[in-house]
Amino acid sequence: MEPILIVSLVVAIALFFDFTNGFHDTANAMATPIATGALKPRTAVIIAAVMNLAGAFLSTAVAKAISVSLINEGVSIGPEMVLAGLTGAILWNLTTWFLGLPSSSSHALFGGLIGAALTFAGAAAVNTDAIFEKVIIPALAAPLIAGIAAFATTRIAYLVTARTQVSRAKTGIGTGRDTFKIGQIFSSSLLALSHGTNDAQKTMGVITLVLVAAGIQSNGDHVELWVVVASALAIALGTYAGGWRIIKTMGSGLAEIKPAQGFAAEVASGVTILASSNLGFALSTTQVASGAIMGSGMGRRGGQVRWSKAGQIVIAWFLTLPAAGIVGALSALLVMQGPAGLVIDLIITLAVVVTIFQVSRRNKIGAHNVISEVEGASEVIRTPRQIRQAQREERTASKEAAKASAKAASKATIATKATKAPAKKSSKSAPAKSSAKGSTKSSKGKK
Amino acid sequence: MTIDWNAFLLVFGASIGFSTVIVATFSFGVRLYTNAQSFVSAAKKGNQSAAVSEALNRAVAYAMFAIASGALLYGIYLIVPIFHLDK
Repeated sequence: MEPILIVSLVVAIALFFDFTNGFHDTANAMATPIATGALKPRTAVIIAAVMNLAGAFLSTAVAKAISVSLINEGVSIGPEMVLAGLTGAILWNLTTWFLGLPSSSSHALFGGLIGAALTFAGAAAVNTDAIFEKVIIPALAAPLIAGIAAFATTRIAYLVTARTQVSRAKTGIGTGRDTFKIGQIFSSSLLALSHGTNDAQKTMGVITLVLVAAGIQSNGDHVELWVVVASALAIALGTYAGGWRIIKTMGSGLAEIKPAQGFAAEVASGVTILASSNLGFALSTTQVASGAIMGSGMGRRGGQVRWSKAGQIVIAWFLTLPAAGIVGALSALLVMQGPAGLVIDLIITLAVVVTIFQVSRRNKIGAHNVISEVEGASEVIRTPRQIRQAQREERTASKEAAKASAKAASKATIATKATKAPAKKSSKSAPAKSSAKGSTKSSKGKK
Repeated sequence: MTIDWNAFLLVFGASIGFSTVIVATFSFGVRLYTNAQSFVSAAKKGNQSAAVSEALNRAVAYAMFAIASGALLYGIYLIVPIFHLDK
């Protein structure tokens, strides 16, 4: 197949990947301000798109890290290799998205590329040092850093704005923490901006890589302007298009995030991503945002960590890179068979894309497909209210049990009638406390 | 393996430092702004000292919000290469 044809294909697929990335990640930046009511969904989506567009122009350090340092110099990498890596990444990414597994588009991309490079040229092809320095260590460190920062800043925000019940009663005003909603407008914009600096650049890096591989560009130390513009537009359009999902799912049980927490988490993740982008660290923006949400959940007094859920998310983070690497290697094996293999690889990718798109369109958006991994991460923390509710339910259950045994002893027909009504109520669990009190009183009265 | 650990320390320090400064100043702003709100009704009734307190709290609160946004903009300025071309 003609190299120029493959290059155009890679550019088109990379831009499509960029689009899906924006589509997928709108929720990361905008879920919390919409949830706390800081921004109207439509406004939030427009801000996110504009900020992503702007962010893509800010820096090219991450793009250079991909186009220069990951693949060793002197190794002849054809555009076919980039194509194989890219299709592998898309296959893995879409499949995990469809199955609702938390994954990372960024790691899927790197995994796919590394897997394909290893298959094509062996272990000598990849620069292990650079992969550790620019991808793997940042991938592990950044969510942790953002988590620590979010934990500390949440603590600070709550400490600084704390007021005793006495002073609140005296002045007649609350803590004023709702003012953080206004801060959230800016902090979520910051997060969207940082997303543009990191994620759009990954696409720029891949396109530059294929341009160098095909000999169209002499080396990968700069990014062509048209590549920057195209990537910026693709991610901004994707972000905007992704907005309708948020609007549709709003009100369907977003985990509890207070404005102060949302503000702290967004500032922490936005700052961490910007600092990392500046040094060319390509990290998963989703993981950083998730880390920050968990940190801010722990930072609020009384928050508890659901370790099993946190463990699931972290394991998924570790798995993405090697798993996408295997898919990338498989598609590289296919592409190495010659033009026919390349065509088959493309057909498989296209078929999977179309199938998943069709199926997901037919399925209604529901609670089973959460709007973002960040939202999943917010469920890791049990808020004080959830803890209280669980305790309340426990109490109700023990009271019901005690009551039931008492009734079994008396065997009175009136007592069986009385149990029916509160039993119905308590199944709703929210007004359980009052109904339990009522039922214990009534059973006492009958005795 | 040669890995530039300083770069990670830099990211760690910059992230914690900048987010702490931004969130802390903004939180102080929130606190003072809420203080100002608490004096509004008394000030409207003609209480002179309440009016002064309201104005002071409000002014410092706005200054805090300005510092928070300034820190944010400075951080963005630091990382954009276009502003540092003469280096």
